[in-house]
Amino acid sequence: MPNIVQVQDLRKRYGDIEAVRGISFSVEQGEVFGMLGPNGAGKTTTVEILEGLRRADGGSATVAGVDVLADPSGVKRRIGVQLQSSAFPEHLTAKETVDFFAACYDLTVDAIALLRLVDLDDRARQLQEKLSGGQRQRLSIATALVNSPQVLFLDEPTTGLDPQARRNLWELIKSIRARGTTVFLTTHYLDEAEVLCDRVAIMDEGRIVALDPPRKLVDDLLGRGFTKPTIQQQANLEDVFLDLTGHELREA
Amino acid sequence: MRQTARLTSALLRAYARDRIALFFSLVVPLMLMVIFGYLNLGDFGRVSIAVDDQAKNSASKQFTDILRGIETLQLAEQPAADALTKLKRTELDLLIVIPSDFAIAPARPGQTVPQLTVYGDDARPQQVAVGRQIIASVIDRLSFAVTQTAPVVGLKEESVQGVRLRYVDFLVPGILGVNIMQLAVFSVAFALVADKQRGVLRRIMATPVRITNLLTAHVLTRLVIAAGQVAILLLVALLLFNVTIVGGLGPLVVVALLGTILFLTIGFALAGWAQTENQVPAIAQLITLPQFFFSGVFFSKNAAPEAIRPITNLLPLTFLNDALREISVQGATLWDVRTQILGLVVWIVLGFLLAVRLFRFERF
Repeated sequence: MPNIVQVQDLRKRYGDIEAVRGISFSVEQGEVFGMLGPNGAGKTTTVEILEGLRRADGGSATVAGVDVLADPSGVKRRIGVQLQSSAFPEHLTAKETVDFFAACYDLTVDAIALLRLVDLDDRARQLQEKLSGGQRQRLSIATALVNSPQVLFLDEPTTGLDPQARRNLWELIKSIRARGTTVFLTTHYLDEAEVLCDRVAIMDEGRIVALDPPRKLVDDLLGRGFTKPTIQQQANLEDVFLDLTGHELREA
Repeated sequence: MRQTARLTSALLRAYARDRIALFFSLVVPLMLMVIFGYLNLGDFGRVSIAVDDQAKNSASKQFTDILRGIETLQLAEQPAADALTKLKRTELDLLIVIPSDFAIAPARPGQTVPQLTVYGDDARPQQVAVGRQIIASVIDRLSFAVTQTAPVVGLKEESVQGVRLRYVDFLVPGILGVNIMQLAVFSVAFALVADKQRGVLRRIMATPVRITNLLTAHVLTRLVIAAGQVAILLLVALLLFNVTIVGGLGPLVVVALLGTILFLTIGFALAGWAQTENQVPAIAQLITLPQFFFSGVFFSKNAAPEAIRPITNLLPLTFLNDALREISVQGATLWDVRTQILGLVVWIVLGFLLAVRLFRFERF
């Protein structure tokens, strides 16, 4: 598989803080690549450099064959993004929001078809600020797909969502991958990485400390003689919660 | 072109749904115009005078009858004590006390003439001055009549304005100007700083949108709204207050749009500088409030203290209001107001440079 994202010795510093300390990795076409790490590990900085939103201080990065540092605008044309702590223009409906972003790419799209893809076609005429948290995340993904991107970047897509909405979003991400789109996501939920990602990179203090398929990371750990102090439960509280409240989305 | 048009149409649609924005850009200006239009703030009003006639003779009656016949004066007979209290409460402008020895007769040499005492309310100096002047001239005429002489110089009075200028005629261009300023500065600054804070601009900057197109869309949106605002205000001015736009609508609209562009650049500069929405009202007031009072909105710009007039004459809103007023009231053409237009253009260039310096999209 060719690499759709190629990062070599990437560095970024904010004043005294070295947010990214020379990381190298690559993402294969068609995979779901996860970047894990605690808050402040440098995940968002890395992703925003790859999205062409921040300038790196050193190193190189290509996304979809385009040099990010030389042509950020070219990268933006080829990728789709969902940013952390961002928002949509107010007083626009879901459909108008999709059309607004299509206009930003100077493209015409079938907004209803995109909304149907994220299961929001029945909310097309509703103002986006009236949507629930999960619906807004799905709208966000719809707007990220207006340019049929080669890579979809999702920065902590399920943060703040209830269990039902999270699972619903996982299904959506799987279906996007099934369409052949590479997905690059950051998360600090390990179960999310385990369910969705073909490979994960674990970042800490600006460095990548591990990069492998989730299963292999676990096997390696066990191979090093690791045992959990408690007996593995057959179910956890989230399973109870979902069993009692169902998998159905609860959205107004 | 197409991208700009699509973005503009989206922004306009969002604006039309924004009740708060509509309230401030349409309802508030209308309220201002209607309230001030009816208040007739610039109207001088009448000078209210109390007369305490202690003579109660034919001469004093003749004197008060003449005063009563003058339209500018409003006369009432009142004992001096009551009237003085009213004067202190500024309910009266003047009090005339007619002494008991009042007479209209030639004074014999060496004899003292009767003394009229006039009390004035210092809080209303203009009215007091006018009232005193009228009383003095009435006394002069009575004296001429009695002494059988004629004034040495005659006076023929004519109004400077061809048509009588009412306060609303003066007010409407000022209201247009001040609302253009408020709309452009506040709507751009508030909207863009909110977008900046909420992360809307960050999200948009993650697309390959051309920044010039996005900015143009924001400018076009405000120009359309400003045009609508001007149209509605003018319509109300024409229908409700019977205002005549002597110079015609064309030049008026051209100057109004120039003014909008000018204040938009200031709004963009402010939006670029401010980091949070809380900073916007403070700085916006700092920019607009002095112009509100010193640029000739509700009263003449010459009401500003002499010392600061060289500065107030150069304020952006002064140029805008002067141009609008000369077109509207005096029928000036665009060529006649070229000085003001030049002033506006200079401010547009300054505002544009400031906006470019302060507004950095890459920072969001």
